[in-house]
Amino acid sequence: MAAGLAVLIAFPYLYRLPFFDNYLSDFRTFQATRFAIWIIVLMGLNLLTGYSGQISLGHAAFVAVGAYIAAILMKDAGLPVFAAVLAAALLTGLLGFLIGAPALRLSGPYLAIATLALIIVLPQILKHPSIDQWTGGVSGIRISSPRVPASMHNNLDMNTDQWLYYNCMLAALIMTAMAWSVTRSRLGRAFIALRDSEIGAQQMGINVSLYKMTAFGLSSLYAGAGGALYLYQQYYVGPTSFDITFSLTLLIMIVLGGLASISGAVFAALIFTVKDDLTNFIVAHIPFGEKIGIESSRGALFGLLLIVSIIFTPRGIAGNLRKQKEARPGGPRKSRIAALVNKIGLFSRKEAQASSD
Amino acid sequence: MDQFIQQFATGLSTGSLYAIIALALVLIYRSTGIVNFAQGEMAMFMTFTAWSVWNWDSNFWLAFFITLIIAAAFGALIELVALRPVESGPVLNPIIVTIGLVLILDSLALRIWQGQPKPFPSPAMFKGAPLSIGPADISRTNVGVFCMSLLIMALIYLFFNKTKVGLAMRATAQDRVAGSLVGIRVGRMLALGWVLSSMVGAVAGMLLAPTLFLSPTMMAGALLFAFAAAVLGGLDSPVGAIVGGLTMGVVQNMAGTYIGSNIDITVAFVVIIAILLVRPRGLFGRKAIQRV
Repeated sequence: MAAGLAVLIAFPYLYRLPFFDNYLSDFRTFQATRFAIWIIVLMGLNLLTGYSGQISLGHAAFVAVGAYIAAILMKDAGLPVFAAVLAAALLTGLLGFLIGAPALRLSGPYLAIATLALIIVLPQILKHPSIDQWTGGVSGIRISSPRVPASMHNNLDMNTDQWLYYNCMLAALIMTAMAWSVTRSRLGRAFIALRDSEIGAQQMGINVSLYKMTAFGLSSLYAGAGGALYLYQQYYVGPTSFDITFSLTLLIMIVLGGLASISGAVFAALIFTVKDDLTNFIVAHIPFGEKIGIESSRGALFGLLLIVSIIFTPRGIAGNLRKQKEARPGGPRKSRIAALVNKIGLFSRKEAQASSD
Repeated sequence: MDQFIQQFATGLSTGSLYAIIALALVLIYRSTGIVNFAQGEMAMFMTFTAWSVWNWDSNFWLAFFITLIIAAAFGALIELVALRPVESGPVLNPIIVTIGLVLILDSLALRIWQGQPKPFPSPAMFKGAPLSIGPADISRTNVGVFCMSLLIMALIYLFFNKTKVGLAMRATAQDRVAGSLVGIRVGRMLALGWVLSSMVGAVAGMLLAPTLFLSPTMMAGALLFAFAAAVLGGLDSPVGAIVGGLTMGVVQNMAGTYIGSNIDITVAFVVIIAILLVRPRGLFGRKAIQRV
């Protein structure tokens, strides 16, 4: 834990050391900041889809709304960054809570398409003349670029990328801790009960409507916070910043990372951050790549990787790791003696396995 | 008033386009329980195949039927290779696989046939001056697409309700374990669902290509509306797909004319969601009853 924190704190300065300077740079710090933002967004989506079982294909709409609210608050109302991000998260959360009300009646593919509608119509709404004095219409909103506080700049020689990294990573840590405690509380257990059997949950005295709306609200709060931080890093948001492809990719990532798991959301964010680098790497290193025209088939390559990973890790990375841990002899909740026996090798492998079962 | 009728007719034309794609979506949902995001891309890919066949022998109907055979094989191949391995896993996985297929087919089509739109032949009977019905003009292609949707709908209805295989497919979609217990070859039924919907998609693509222009992105816009149409009509109802498609087209056109073309999509989706709130399983969808 402490070592992990130390790495997180040191990361943006590492590239100034020998050896690390081969691999790290301000650009990698920028990517790590993006990673922190995706953690927040995907953590929220996992609370909704993974824990409470509600499919949302339009989650990007809430990310966009968060970014726009933060942009308007910073530019027109002149709010400081911290207040704008907090307000954007809370307002987006409230919006999600309210949108959760009509969603109560829908389920499965009907809910999926209804939520997809959110991201389909959002650009048209953002561009509409009646509100374009705030949203900036087609051209979107540009805010002033983030500024590193003088004390940080002078004492720690901190540049903008590093400053953004610390801000976003801190937010990601706080919101991950928050998600962790939610999933281990009454609220989280109610979400899971809801997902596994709505009727069963109702019988246990869970207010299904209220908890479903809360799941929508909470996940939108995360999306809004992520969107606001995205805006802070990018200092621009427009009607096409978040599109349908982005929205679908969020869901894909959460399934690849692992549904209903905190570490699953972190894995998902990691894949999301490095997916282009990964595809580029494969394109550059695949044998006979030039012959089969790999350069112009990037999309096909990514689609293929996607299908193959779903086939081989159907429960995502986190789900797969959990399964391995449980399958290991002497894993969680299994007798220590069996593990010891296994280690010493007193019996043949078969017998040891039988005794550990 | 004349303008209203003309707009209504134009809406029906656009709607018939959504309806025929929605039919393919309904077909696959009904037989496998999967919402197929790759439906539009599969149709596009098959339409390009038809174009290649037509270039080799410029007889429309020959190309049409050869493409249908290829489409059947294509549907079966996709089911066997990509969908079969994820069928028993978590519910979201097949959806993710279909999104992966979208990426693959898009990229391959762009590589094989390039991006610029291509002219696509339309059968002789669809050519000629638009038909006048009262004060409204409708192009022959749109009338043809509409009639074809009705024909496909009737065939689907007869297939599912009057044949033994159709019954077996409905049973498979409802409960795989029970289906296999009474001796239905579940795997074959699922593959058949993909074969049929791939063929309907190919028909849709070939009929729409003269109007939409053949390009890798030809289906991208229409597919989203077809989804909305299928959901509006009820994902398991072929009649619903047609009614949903036409409603979607008309509402979008009316909103564009009378409210503003910069808000038409929004209005159309608001109407759909409002209808869904009253009928959560679509206009013609059957209510799901759960036994506890």
